[in-house]
Amino acid sequence: MPDLTASAPRRPRVVGFLCDWAVSSEGLVREDGTMRDLPNVTLIKIPCSGFVRPSWLEFALRSGADGAFVCGCPLGDCFNRLGNNLIADRVVQMRRRLERQKFQPDRVATIFYGLHDGPEFVAAVRAFCERIAQLPAPPPAPARRPAAGAPAGAGGAEGAPREPQAGPAPGREEP
Amino acid sequence: MYKRLLDRLLRWTLGLDVWINRIYPPDFNPLYYTGGLSNLFLTILVLSGIFLFLYYVPSFNEAYTSIQYITGAPPFVANAVPYGQIIRGIHRYASDGFIIVILLHFFRNWFTERFRFSRDEPWISGMMLLLFSGFIGVTGYVLVWDQRSQLLVAMTGHTLAAIPVVGGAFQFLLFGGAGTTGLLLPRMLFLHVGPATALYVFLWWHYVRIRHPKVWPPAVWTLFSLGAVFLAAALIPAVSQALASTGAPPRFLAVDWFFLIPYVSLNYLTPAVLVLLAVVIVVYGLYIPYQLPETPAEMGIRDPGVAQVIDANCTGCELCYFDCPYNAIVMVPTPHPGVTKAAQARKLLAIVLESRCVECGICIGACPFEALELPGYLEQDIQEKVVAACRT
Repeated sequence: MPDLTASAPRRPRVVGFLCDWAVSSEGLVREDGTMRDLPNVTLIKIPCSGFVRPSWLEFALRSGADGAFVCGCPLGDCFNRLGNNLIADRVVQMRRRLERQKFQPDRVATIFYGLHDGPEFVAAVRAFCERIAQLPAPPPAPARRPAAGAPAGAGGAEGAPREPQAGPAPGREEP
Repeated sequence: MYKRLLDRLLRWTLGLDVWINRIYPPDFNPLYYTGGLSNLFLTILVLSGIFLFLYYVPSFNEAYTSIQYITGAPPFVANAVPYGQIIRGIHRYASDGFIIVILLHFFRNWFTERFRFSRDEPWISGMMLLLFSGFIGVTGYVLVWDQRSQLLVAMTGHTLAAIPVVGGAFQFLLFGGAGTTGLLLPRMLFLHVGPATALYVFLWWHYVRIRHPKVWPPAVWTLFSLGAVFLAAALIPAVSQALASTGAPPRFLAVDWFFLIPYVSLNYLTPAVLVLLAVVIVVYGLYIPYQLPETPAEMGIRDPGVAQVIDANCTGCELCYFDCPYNAIVMVPTPHPGVTKAAQARKLLAIVLESRCVECGICIGACPFEALELPGYLEQDIQEKVVAACRT
C-alpha cells in the first residue's frame, strides 16, 4: 500500500465523526484529535452516530476537507437503539443531494465498528482515504450559496463541467 | 470501583459480540435480539399454556391424573389428547428458554449500561418482568402436583414462616391457609395464569417509551428457537414425578436449574437468610440504574443535556418525531408561527418531553432546519471543530 501521508501528491484531508460508544479512541487519537496512524484524519467525538446532521458532512467538504465519514457501533447494536441505522439511511439520501451539488458522493461514508474493532476501524479509514485520494480534485464550490466556512479562493466557475464520477457506485460502506 | 468493574464488563460483553459477529453477520447476532427472543418464547408459552389449560383440573384428586391424561401416560390411551406429550414438553422447555434469554437480556443491558437517563423505566419494568417470570415458573411446577410440587409448597411455606411479622399472611395469600388446603391448586392456577397476563401489562410499560421496538428476532432465529424447543420436547419427554403422597413430603428434589435455584440454596442457607438475600437482590436490581454517581463533568459528551427545540426554526415537519427512538418528541398544534421563512406556515410544533429524553442527539441529526440543539454540544461547536480540523 502506498504511504498516502508522505508521498502522495496531495494528502486527503478527512474529518471523521466518531461515536463515543463505538470504537475506543484510546491509543488511536492524538491530543489534537488526529489519528495516530493517519495524521490526515481528524476525529470528532459525538454522543451517538445519529447525532450527526448530514449537512455537517457537507460543511466539512465545503470547509476544505477531501472526505468525511461517520463511525457508529455495529449495525443492530446502537447504544441508542437506532442511531447507526438512521445515519446510514441519512447518508445514503445525502449522496444524491451531493451529486446535485457537484461533490463526488464517494467523499462521504459511514462505517460501523464496535469498541474492540480498533485495527479494523483504522484499516477501513485507510481504505477510505485511499479511495478519496484517487478521486479527481474536488470541483469548486458552487458560487451561488457559499457556506460560512468555505475557503475564500474556492468561488467562481459556476458553470464548470461536471467531474466524471470515479470510484465504485454509490452505496453505503459496510464492514 | 463499581465504575471500573462496569467498564470491564462492557468490554467483555462487546468482546463476546466481536466473536459472535465473526460467525454470524451482525444482522443475525442473537445477542442483539435477546428481547425479541424473550417475546418469542413468551408467545410459545402462552399458546401451549392455553392448550394445557383446557385439560388441566385444579384439584388434589385430579390435577396429577389430568396431566397424565394429556401426556398419555400408562393408565391412559397414548394419543387421547393429540400431541399432548409434545405440547407439554414445549411448555416445559420454552419456559427454560425464556428464562435463559431474559437473563441474557438483563445482563447484556446491565453491562452495556443501557439504563442511563430516562431508560430507567424500561429497566424497572424489566425487573418486574423478571420477578414475575420466576414466580410463574415456580407456580407452574406446583400445578403438576407430584412429589416435587409437594416439596416446593413445604419449602415455600417454611421460608415464608421465617418472615417476621407478615409471614403468616403471605402464607395465607399464597396457599389459602397453613399447610395444604383445598384452595391450594385453584389458587396456584390463578397465580400461574394471572401473573402471565400481568406480564403483558409490564411489557406495555416496557415498550411504551420505545419507537420501533425489536419485538421479534430475525426469522432464522425464530425458526431455530422453535426447532430447538420442538426437538427437546420430542427427545426428552417432560414427565411428572410420582404422585404427591398424603404423608410427609419427600426429601429429594429433581432440580430445574433455571427456576428452582432458590430452593436448592435452602440446602445451604437458613430460610431467614434466603429471604433477606432475595430482598437485597431485588432492591439492588431496582437500584442499578441510579447507582452510577457520575457528574456531568465525568460523563463529558455522554451528558450533553436534554435536546432543546428552537421555536423560531421549527417547521413542524415531524422528522424528529419519527426518528426519536424513545418517543420523547411529540408534535403539538403550534401556538404561533415560527420566525424563519420555512417555519412561518407551520401547523405543528415539536416538543421534547424531558422525562423521556436520553440526550443521544438523534433528533439533531434528523432536523434539516436547525431547529434542535443539544445544549452541551451545539452545532456551532461541531462547526468550529470541523473548521479547525480543515485548517491544520
